[in-house]
Amino acid sequence: MAASAVKGVRGWSSLPLVARRAVLRLPGVTQVRWSRYGPEYRDPKIDKEYYHKPVAELTEEEKYDQELKKTQLIKAAPAMKTSSVFEDPVISKFTNMMMKGGNKVLARSLMTQTLEAVKRKQFEKYHAASAEEQATIERNPYTIFHQALKNCEPVIGLVPILKGGHFYQVPVPLADRRRRFLAMKWMITECRENKHRRTLMPEKLSHELLEAFHNQGPVVKKKQDMHKMAEANRALAHYRWW
Amino acid sequence: MLKGIRRLISRVHKAKHGEQHEGQHYNIPLQDLKTVFPNGLPSRFVMQVKTFGEACLMVRKPALELLHYLKNTNFAYPAVRYLVYGEKGTGKTLSLCHVIHFCAKQDWLILHIPDGKNFLSFLQPAKDSKLIKVQEKYVWNKRESTEKGSPLGEVVEQGITRVKNATDAVGIVLKELKRQSSLGIFRLLVAVDGVNALWGRTTLKREDKSLIAPEELALIHNLRKMVKNDWHGGAIVLTLSQTGSVFKPRRAYLPQELLGKEGFDALDPFIPMLVSNYTPKEFESCLQYYLENNWLQHEKAHTEDGKKELLFLSNANPWQLERLCAYL
Repeated sequence: MAASAVKGVRGWSSLPLVARRAVLRLPGVTQVRWSRYGPEYRDPKIDKEYYHKPVAELTEEEKYDQELKKTQLIKAAPAMKTSSVFEDPVISKFTNMMMKGGNKVLARSLMTQTLEAVKRKQFEKYHAASAEEQATIERNPYTIFHQALKNCEPVIGLVPILKGGHFYQVPVPLADRRRRFLAMKWMITECRENKHRRTLMPEKLSHELLEAFHNQGPVVKKKQDMHKMAEANRALAHYRWW
Repeated sequence: MLKGIRRLISRVHKAKHGEQHEGQHYNIPLQDLKTVFPNGLPSRFVMQVKTFGEACLMVRKPALELLHYLKNTNFAYPAVRYLVYGEKGTGKTLSLCHVIHFCAKQDWLILHIPDGKNFLSFLQPAKDSKLIKVQEKYVWNKRESTEKGSPLGEVVEQGITRVKNATDAVGIVLKELKRQSSLGIFRLLVAVDGVNALWGRTTLKREDKSLIAPEELALIHNLRKMVKNDWHGGAIVLTLSQTGSVFKPRRAYLPQELLGKEGFDALDPFIPMLVSNYTPKEFESCLQYYLENNWLQHEKAHTEDGKKELLFLSNANPWQLERLCAYL
């Protein structure tokens, strides 16, 4: 169980060798909070359908998997991951990013109020529109949310690279998770900063989401600015070495 | 079994609601809403009416029972008190609104006090208020007085213009109504929502920061007299409400707990009506109503698993279900 066995496994290669904190180890008790699980721990699988399958339907691979589980150690599932049919990882991530000071109750209520506000606004538009337009109006708040965030994701980003004593903003392709993070971050900052003192967050957020859904609004503009800057700094692309 | 339930938009007259209509929704025309309930409906219901463009109430057992009793009241006996109670969010206020709408259609005179805490009371006459005549002479001050035989609308105007005498005007209006409904000119329905506020403690303070007891407020005093059953020719329907009450535990919903000893003794004897969470049939009906209005937009909400989960999360509580379906 030396710390040296940990290095080089599971993408920790870039980290320097860090000794584990001296922790009281009781036999048969595995710490969960603030723990860094060893490599022998597998991720939990939270999927009702998978577990409800009768034994006969399992393929060879899955049977082997089930057998393996009896001896393998599994990490504890995080508290916010449920097997609910209504769960959405994007919405959960967004709620966590909106949370301040660990106040998940408030963040979640803001999120639900936003979705409700989006839905009510779309219903109003639907009732006021003619028959042809009604087919084009989208009333599902979840599709609007996903589409809006997709419209805000930048394709290419800028990274400061140190060369010759100066930092240059070099255009760089972004990973998927970085793009999703930037979209959410821009949306939240925009809604927090550029609103009137008396408007509430759900109202402002619903407004921004609807605008982004139609490819308008300040967040999409920010994405387009980022693209323009990257285009302008095209010459510096050679500075990237990965 | 429950999949075949269709919502019946029965435009049938409310008087014909029978047991077979239980669990189904009926439509209230929007015009009626404006005249009968200028401010008596819960705020979330008003939002729902605005979004859907129609006002639909579910016909439930307690309301049906109340309607049955009201249809068979003997107006020679003193007014019977019905107390609607139940846990939070089970539908007490909307049952009251159902009853009020029924009585409005039957041309009763309705005194509806929507919120026991705030005392915004409005008079809802089915007929012209000019027909109700004041039977005594009231002197306001040295220069103004209301003569005998003048219409009640004048007293109301007097109260609106002279703010100092407003509470007295309200008291006079109530007294006249009681007296005249006993004479049999019209039938009076006194509907108070959140009646436990009349007997609880107040949070109002005088200038020297001493608490005011509810007895000292003229409006409360007049309302208490109204709710006493010393008149005949109508009915009194009351609702308890924990949400507005102060100094009462959150889980309290029984009449004894919310009214206190004083209130309970004042209202005794009454007929209690319990409003509980949705039955499976009512729950299905509610979900069907939302599905027909396309309110449940989440794709998983249409599946059996989704419905089971909604039932679990809301525990068939109407208030909770409404809040859940709002963002799904």
